[in-house]
Amino acid sequence: FNFPTARYDDDNNNNNRNETNSKWLDAHYDPVANLYTFSSCTGLADLQGDGENKLVVGDLGTGVYNMKLKVYKGTNLLSENTLLDLPTGVAIFLMDQNEPLTPAIAVASGPYIYIYKNLRPYFKFTLPALEVNPLEQEVWSQVKEDKIDPVTLKEMLEGIRYKNDNLPLFKKSFRFLMLDMQETEAFVNLHKHQPIKRQTFLDTPSYFAKSRSDRRALTCTVLCTYSNKSLHISSLFFFSLNTQMSLPSAPAFLDVTGQFDVEFRITVACRNGNIYILRRDAKRPKYCIELSSQPVGLVRVSKNVVVGCTNETLLGYTQKGKKLWTAYLPAPITTMSLLDHKTRGLQAVLVGLANSEVHMYRDKNLVNIINTQDVVTSICFGRYGREDGTLIMTTKGGGLIIKILKRTAQFEEKDMTPGPPLAQSIKLNIPKKTKLYVDQTLRERENAVAMHRAFQVDLYRLRLTTARAYIKNLEASLNPMSSSALEPLKMNAVVQGIGPSFKLTLNIQNTSAARPVINLFLSFLYDEKLYSMKTSFFKIPMLVPGLNYPIETFVDCLSDKGISDVIKVFVLREGKSTPLLTAHINMPVSEGLSAA
Amino acid sequence: MGLFDKLASWLGLKRREVNVLCLGLDNSGKSTIINHLKPASARVQDIVPTIGFSVEKFSTSSLSFTVFDMSGQGRYRNLWENYYREAQAIIFVIDSGDKLRMVVAMEELDTLLNHPDVKHRRIPILFFANKMDLRDALSSVKVSQLIGLDRIKDKPWHISGSNALTGEGLQEGVEWLQDQIRSMKT
Repeated sequence: FNFPTARYDDDNNNNNRNETNSKWLDAHYDPVANLYTFSSCTGLADLQGDGENKLVVGDLGTGVYNMKLKVYKGTNLLSENTLLDLPTGVAIFLMDQNEPLTPAIAVASGPYIYIYKNLRPYFKFTLPALEVNPLEQEVWSQVKEDKIDPVTLKEMLEGIRYKNDNLPLFKKSFRFLMLDMQETEAFVNLHKHQPIKRQTFLDTPSYFAKSRSDRRALTCTVLCTYSNKSLHISSLFFFSLNTQMSLPSAPAFLDVTGQFDVEFRITVACRNGNIYILRRDAKRPKYCIELSSQPVGLVRVSKNVVVGCTNETLLGYTQKGKKLWTAYLPAPITTMSLLDHKTRGLQAVLVGLANSEVHMYRDKNLVNIINTQDVVTSICFGRYGREDGTLIMTTKGGGLIIKILKRTAQFEEKDMTPGPPLAQSIKLNIPKKTKLYVDQTLRERENAVAMHRAFQVDLYRLRLTTARAYIKNLEASLNPMSSSALEPLKMNAVVQGIGPSFKLTLNIQNTSAARPVINLFLSFLYDEKLYSMKTSFFKIPMLVPGLNYPIETFVDCLSDKGISDVIKVFVLREGKSTPLLTAHINMPVSEGLSAA
Repeated sequence: MGLFDKLASWLGLKRREVNVLCLGLDNSGKSTIINHLKPASARVQDIVPTIGFSVEKFSTSSLSFTVFDMSGQGRYRNLWENYYREAQAIIFVIDSGDKLRMVVAMEELDTLLNHPDVKHRRIPILFFANKMDLRDALSSVKVSQLIGLDRIKDKPWHISGSNALTGEGLQEGVEWLQDQIRSMKT
């Protein structure tokens, strides 16, 4: 065996590694345990009544041979039983109530259920054979008496096959139809004396309490059958079939809750991509969830159903089939299992992914990531040995990983999905409403219409006044932009210097597309007591469109009292007294001493 | 300490009182060890899983031990730290047949050693690698390797393999503890 490699440092130095280490203890890792199995073929139970839970694994072996039922105790293999066929599921259930309680193991394999008690084979339970098409039976009995040759047989079987859809042919007929003509003779001779039986194939068995919900309760077993699309509920205590329910498609994953005698609910994910929810006294499914892609795992967490799909999503549904949430995963799902830590009240879904990670989801929130050495194919969580929170995983390469949940581990629920930030829900410290505020709100509430009207009237007046002023400006050309079609001009002015002499630069631009402007004059209007100008009248040269024409002049401030005034600039057209543009230049205060 | 007490202890009439904490995982054999250390008349036949803790007394040639036998079950382990302050010595019991839970024992030991009430005190720790009679039990050396006892540098420690059912190895451990406590005070 491998010694527990305490705190081994893997080279995949993920950031999550530290976080994972703080939640799980690496109790055991055996990369060559030779365990090839799925979550449905694993289980934990105290098989010998000694207070220590054992691990039961239905080992698939290579798929052809080496199929075994293995039982582990601690890190060691306790017992091994060879299975004849591939196990499709393992269920551990209580058959009797003799003290000490020793549960039995049911292994579904082919059309049989093998029951093991005290680690020994105890009983084999065969599902009843299915109804056979009488025509088909007739044909084969004729073959037996050598009345018809293989060619006729083939034709007749084809005929039966297409005539009757709801009663499929049995396995032997299908195999016969697949054969080439030369092989048929030998096949018929070999098989004609065998009895005609159409057998069912079992899928995942599951179990639930018959009438009580404590640990001593006897259990009923739900058996899925693959070929006739039905569920059987049987009490393995009596080894008899009690109830049969039919499904529209072949079942793939199954979950059962409740008690057989009281009320129960069966959730089945089927191969047609639908999930059906059945209840007691219902022969047909009560609810149906249609998935957008095929289910790869089904787990029930308290009252919700969590389904993993092939399109790398995890979906949450209520038990009435209403969709609650979707979580997107980074890789395809390999297996799913429930983490139910009763003493801590911790429930989560463990999802094994193809990128060698196991994600732990509480509702839609990812609470933990476990990095594993290999891709995990089966997950089983529960009490193992004497430790309550043990996580047992087997890998694709046949390895066995056992991790133990730390006593101090806390899983904080972080909402990973984008949404309103946390700060939004923090309540602000708003001061109390004053009497004035309350009165005002009351008044506003009572006179809302009148207030709104008064406001609207004022608003219209304001707009009107603004529009009037604007029109007036435009008419008097009081703005530095000329909008007339003939002379579209733009002007801006720059004042430089600190006084008493200022340099005034006027930039004039013709904004029209192609038309030059001629015969323009520039004039200044200013207080002659304050300012003096060398030339207060210019003739503007021809303005070519797009170019900037700077016109410079010097202004002297005559006052030394620190006062300033506005100089008005007009651009005029020859022979017209109204200006094209007007600019007001706010002169700065002269800071230097007057030269005069 | 009154004059009479001083005199009595000097004369060796009165044994010194020592508080000892007995820790370890559930089913490691703590109560069985304590039961075996008690005088034969006070022993009980059936040991049941301890709930919470129980206080037991036994004495050696020079010391009188008051042992707080703590429950090792997961849900009671958070009680341990409340008793660290009063403890003058710690007995830590390990089930040497339970390889799977060695990491859990190591984790609990780590928590113990890093607790502020224990970290800076030179407090003797006695380890019992119990259940030596089991067929697949690990040796005491192997156990000390697995739970990393070599990391303990600032405290005196000792590990002894034991079988609490027959009492094998218990006396050796308790004698070491007694020597440590006496050398600590004088």
